[in-house]
Amino acid sequence: MQKTKSKKRVKDTEEREVVAEVRDLVRNFGDRIVLNGINLKVYRGETFVIMGGSGSGKSTLLRHMIGNLKPTSGRVLLFGKDITDFYGPDLDEVRKKIGMSFQSSALFDSMTVAENVSLAIREHTKLEDSVIDIMIKMKLELVGLRGFENLMPSELSGGMRKRVGLARAIAMDPQVVFYDEPTAGLDPIVAAVINKLIIDLSKKLSITSIVVTHDMKGIMTIADRIAMLYEGKVLEIGTPREIKNSRNEIVQQFIKGEHDGPIRFFQQKDDYLEHLIR
Amino acid sequence: MEIKREESNGIVIFRVAGDIDLNTSPELKKFFDQVIKENKKKILIDLKDVSYVDSSGLATLVEILKNLRVYGGRLKLTSLSAKVRGLFEITRLDKLFDISAGEEDALSSFNEA
Repeated sequence: MQKTKSKKRVKDTEEREVVAEVRDLVRNFGDRIVLNGINLKVYRGETFVIMGGSGSGKSTLLRHMIGNLKPTSGRVLLFGKDITDFYGPDLDEVRKKIGMSFQSSALFDSMTVAENVSLAIREHTKLEDSVIDIMIKMKLELVGLRGFENLMPSELSGGMRKRVGLARAIAMDPQVVFYDEPTAGLDPIVAAVINKLIIDLSKKLSITSIVVTHDMKGIMTIADRIAMLYEGKVLEIGTPREIKNSRNEIVQQFIKGEHDGPIRFFQQKDDYLEHLIR
Repeated sequence: MEIKREESNGIVIFRVAGDIDLNTSPELKKFFDQVIKENKKKILIDLKDVSYVDSSGLATLVEILKNLRVYGGRLKLTSLSAKVRGLFEITRLDKLFDISAGEEDALSSFNEA
């Protein structure tokens, strides 16, 4: 249930409202350049997928977009505000408008499902328990888990844990939800259920979704637009159809999942034998 | 958020203006806790000037309805904007609440039942 205000809207030249933006973002870890000049915009209401292979920098990019990591250079904007230098209360205030679904679900094992879902509500609001209980039921209904309030995370399957994670991500009625590898480690059917939920939540609640994943089938199902990340750079941004028809060999290798191509995982270096006896 | 109270033929009408969200829902709950203490049986909430209700607002309205039913009180909602009506529909709460399009319909339906 998302709030849209006509004031303070940030429009780009195409008159679409930009809710998240990354400008010339560079991030080094020591000598290694993990993100190398990223530029992208995410528009209100769309499902924007950041795809790329392992180590392409996509999760690092996501962590910059929510303010968890600070760039070496470049800017990150959320809802038109430059959050690059935000810490503490300023960052908390912006984060109230976003939800986060983690790869590992990140549930607290010592808390029930209801306690996990309601954690942020209890922390950030003055709502009474009776009202929070109703909110939890409403959130769990949206992810198909009403009635599971009193179970512990250890009593849930991987897919159910993910769904609890989604319920928690939407607990505070966020305008934007960030998903980090939402289907990682799930069987194809459960993965399809999670992807359907992401679509449903986006449509029903008018949520903007920013999803980091390398699950090709899921990407083509949920994405309005896709950014392909490779070696810390945005190689291409487009609709699923545009990405599918891309002439870029790296994009093609990735979407077809071919082991042979411009993306090399194992590099044979000439100094191998010398390295062994050095 | 502002709440104005009127009374007409035994029906208490509350006109709410502003957003009902995480910040204002606790205030709404407290306000209606007092009303419920008066054991008023017929309550109409006019949402004409409410532009947005988040899930905390919806949950608060459910809680008010629950508490009214304990002593046989009745709650009707009226004049929802299309957007707010949509929020009730997404959560299927349109099936739980008695929602009238206009105030006259709501007032007369109180008297019919």
